[in-house]
Amino acid sequence: MNPIDPRIHQVLDGEIPREALPQDLRRVVERLESAAALLAAAPEGRSVAERVLARLRRPARSPVRRLAQWLTAPHPVTLRIRPVWSLALAATLVLLMLLPEERSVPVLGEHEGIAQFVARFPGAHSVQVVGSFNDWRTGTIPLEDRDGDGVWRAVVVLPAGAHEYMFVVDDERWVPDYSANRFVEDDFGRENSVLIVRPVKG
Amino acid sequence: MRVALLLACVAAPLAGQSVRIRLENRVPAAAIPIIDSLVQVAGREGLPTEPLVGKALEGGAKHVVPALIVRAVETRLDQLRDARALLVRGGDAPPATPAEIATVSGALRRGLPPPVVERVVGALPSEPRESALHAIADLVAHRLDADSSATLVIAAIHAGLRGGRLLDVSHAVLEEQQRGRTWAESFVRVRDELPDVPAAPKPGEGTVQRARRPSSVSKAPTPL
Amino acid sequence: MDVREGPSDAEVVARVLGGDREAFGLIVRRYESGLLRFATRVLGSRDAAADAVAESLVRAYRHLASCRDPTRLRTWLYRIVANRCKSHLARRATGDVSLDDVPPIADPADNEAALERVEQLAVVEQALATLSPEKREAFVLKHVEGMSYQEMAAVTGERIPTLKMRVHRAREALLKALEERS
Repeated sequence: MNPIDPRIHQVLDGEIPREALPQDLRRVVERLESAAALLAAAPEGRSVAERVLARLRRPARSPVRRLAQWLTAPHPVTLRIRPVWSLALAATLVLLMLLPEERSVPVLGEHEGIAQFVARFPGAHSVQVVGSFNDWRTGTIPLEDRDGDGVWRAVVVLPAGAHEYMFVVDDERWVPDYSANRFVEDDFGRENSVLIVRPVKG
Repeated sequence: MRVALLLACVAAPLAGQSVRIRLENRVPAAAIPIIDSLVQVAGREGLPTEPLVGKALEGGAKHVVPALIVRAVETRLDQLRDARALLVRGGDAPPATPAEIATVSGALRRGLPPPVVERVVGALPSEPRESALHAIADLVAHRLDADSSATLVIAAIHAGLRGGRLLDVSHAVLEEQQRGRTWAESFVRVRDELPDVPAAPKPGEGTVQRARRPSSVSKAPTPL
Repeated sequence: MDVREGPSDAEVVARVLGGDREAFGLIVRRYESGLLRFATRVLGSRDAAADAVAESLVRAYRHLASCRDPTRLRTWLYRIVANRCKSHLARRATGDVSLDDVPPIADPADNEAALERVEQLAVVEQALATLSPEKREAFVLKHVEGMSYQEMAAVTGERIPTLKMRVHRAREALLKALEERS
């Protein structure tokens, strides 16, 4: 962050008159005002009025059609299961599945939980998650896009509690997880996402 | 599990090893002495040091200039001091635990007003507050009033909910809003459901990795 | 600012709620220009802005009864669009603002002044894209849409001190980005 003279803010917020500023600071004010004026020039764009009104005029779907669409559309299903069942399921998976070493399911400790990272980066060659849980070290938690649809995923065991993180795309672009809906300033001019991991037990 | 225990036994004595070793080759060399001294100061004041080391490592990973890394670590130190003062004002007998100091600092960084944090501290006098504070912060992040959010979460606490169940409360409010209800209606519906608020969906299965902290110090798990 | 002609917002809202669906077109035409401008600057894409504003206006129609104060319709509409833009950015999952499809505001073919203006706008747009979504939104509401902090609080649901801080930091970041690019 590069703080500027607070009087500039006061002028732009209408708290003091512009004349209260020395000439060099007035130029800064003018620079910001010019930038805003350029942005305020409305971009050429087509009206959305007809599109909106057409949607409003569309007749309501018949109950039969609504039912047909409901039956064929995918729906998320929430299962309410007890944590002990999750552990039993995890243990069963370990026993039943002959997984290669690197794909074995870890046994969770008492103060650990599971975090799922999902992000959409079409065209990316690599995506990893970096955060307070791995000392912000790249190369330790890669996400995978197995079907090449641009949606990258990873499921990770983490200590229970709050963690800050970002995605690193193609080893160079640091991006917050905007689907996470929890952010904090990172004090470096950007924002970290915040993840709350709940313990599997209790 | 045995291997993990073995590693933990090895890691514990190494935990006391200097901060410099963790920072070397990760943080610009020019910043290391200052950061090390800031960490020592935090330790002497009874403040958690891991947030400071973590912030320095974060700055190094993000290729931030040394001066800004140092400033960020200093800012974190001040935030931790503010958090401890708030805990004491809220009724925690000194010394406030490092875990709670880090928790309150995190909540303040997420934008919760100090009076709201104090209310939660007072409502949970001898229990971890992390879930309660993050539940309120989740609602505030969606532009809900902090005081109203705190009132609802504290009502959930009085109804016997703890830990992750408090996060279910905020999730339930957001779900109600997604269904088209106003925020006020959502609050009322969830409050009326207490303590039987539906649980938020758990993360999905898949190839499960274990996050590995390459440094020798492992973060003490924070009970939710 | 939009020019108010014809019936007041409160009158139009009353007509729509009374069953006159077509009257909603008055509201759309009255506010779409400003809403499109706001969404374009936040999302950095004219097409995405059109989608966001159209979706928002349809939602506004369906929830018009929940607009508690029709005399403050403008901030209510901006609030819906601001929330919709946030959802768009979250779905985009990068937070990066793409400027590729924001057209220049003048044909640069002959007019030197227009060409210079186009270039200046490109620099400002690139600088704006470096801001976080919250700071970008705050700067655009304050300095492009000309809102007061009270109006911004109604749009964003944030406290005024928080908004002031975001606007101040946005100004600082924008100046820095402009200096780096000029």
